[in-house]
Amino acid sequence: MVILPVVFPLVMATGGVLGIAGVPLPGVEIGIAVSAAVLGMMVALAARPSLWVAALIVGVFAVFHGYAHGAELPPGADALSFSAGFVIATGCLHLTGIAFGLLVRWPAGLIAVRAMGGIIALAGLLFLGRLV
Amino acid sequence: MSVPVRLLLALMLALIPEGASAHSVFGITGFSGGLLHPLLVPAHFLAVAALALLIGQQQWPHRVPMAYAAALVAGLGAIAMAYVPDFAEDGVLVFGGIAGLLVALARPLPWVLGALLAAAIGAMQALDSPPEAITLTEANLTLLGTAVSAVIVLVTLARIASLPHQPWQKIAVRILGSWIAACAILVLALKFSR
Repeated sequence: MVILPVVFPLVMATGGVLGIAGVPLPGVEIGIAVSAAVLGMMVALAARPSLWVAALIVGVFAVFHGYAHGAELPPGADALSFSAGFVIATGCLHLTGIAFGLLVRWPAGLIAVRAMGGIIALAGLLFLGRLV
Repeated sequence: MSVPVRLLLALMLALIPEGASAHSVFGITGFSGGLLHPLLVPAHFLAVAALALLIGQQQWPHRVPMAYAAALVAGLGAIAMAYVPDFAEDGVLVFGGIAGLLVALARPLPWVLGALLAAAIGAMQALDSPPEAITLTEANLTLLGTAVSAVIVLVTLARIASLPHQPWQKIAVRILGSWIAACAILVLALKFSR
């Protein structure tokens, strides 16, 4: 429960650094679409991988997400404001997801969470289809 | 009401008269301007927040905030002597990021290391706080306000950060530290890429 939300921002920042530095990373948008498909599918199937597998999956996808943010910084933008803004926005999205995920303690909530995972997976596959 | 909360309320009350004036927030100078400076400069507030989280998490003794205060005063003294280095803002981000990383790691650390880190953050924060004032008196009042506010903010946030006892609260502190470190890493990368 601790490792993933603690490690994710740091790995995402690493991806961001790569994007800022202009290091070539092929298939960034594909990686983002795949992350939605894979993670959504795991939620839909209520998969419970081992910690190192989960950390590896989240870490790889975090690099793609961070890279996209770093590469998209508008020229001349204030660095700290931009970084603080997207860090706060990402954190809020995480909190929203965690809060929604807490619904699994109820039978109807479990169905809702898994259904949302399925919707996210479908959206990821849709984006992937448009990219390929 | 605990002492740090009272100090924070006193700080807020001290700001009210200036807040009611026609000046914009960033146009406020003098002692009140100095009081606002550690709160309104994002890099400074992040670094102090990370240090406060670390102090609270590690339950370090008062020597660590004292080291911060001493270095802060020394740095402001250097500013008063017209020493304004270019590397100060980068230093704030670097040491603030280190503090955030240490919070995320949540490993037991000796207070001496904390004192060194606190002194580094205090010194860099001070050296990155040159007052925008015309008269010497106003400049010195700004520096005094900065020192008072920075120490109050650190002590208050550290006190709050020492309160979490539930496992999820301690995890939340680690997550906050991680996000602060991520922010610092990104800003430094952006600065060095330009």
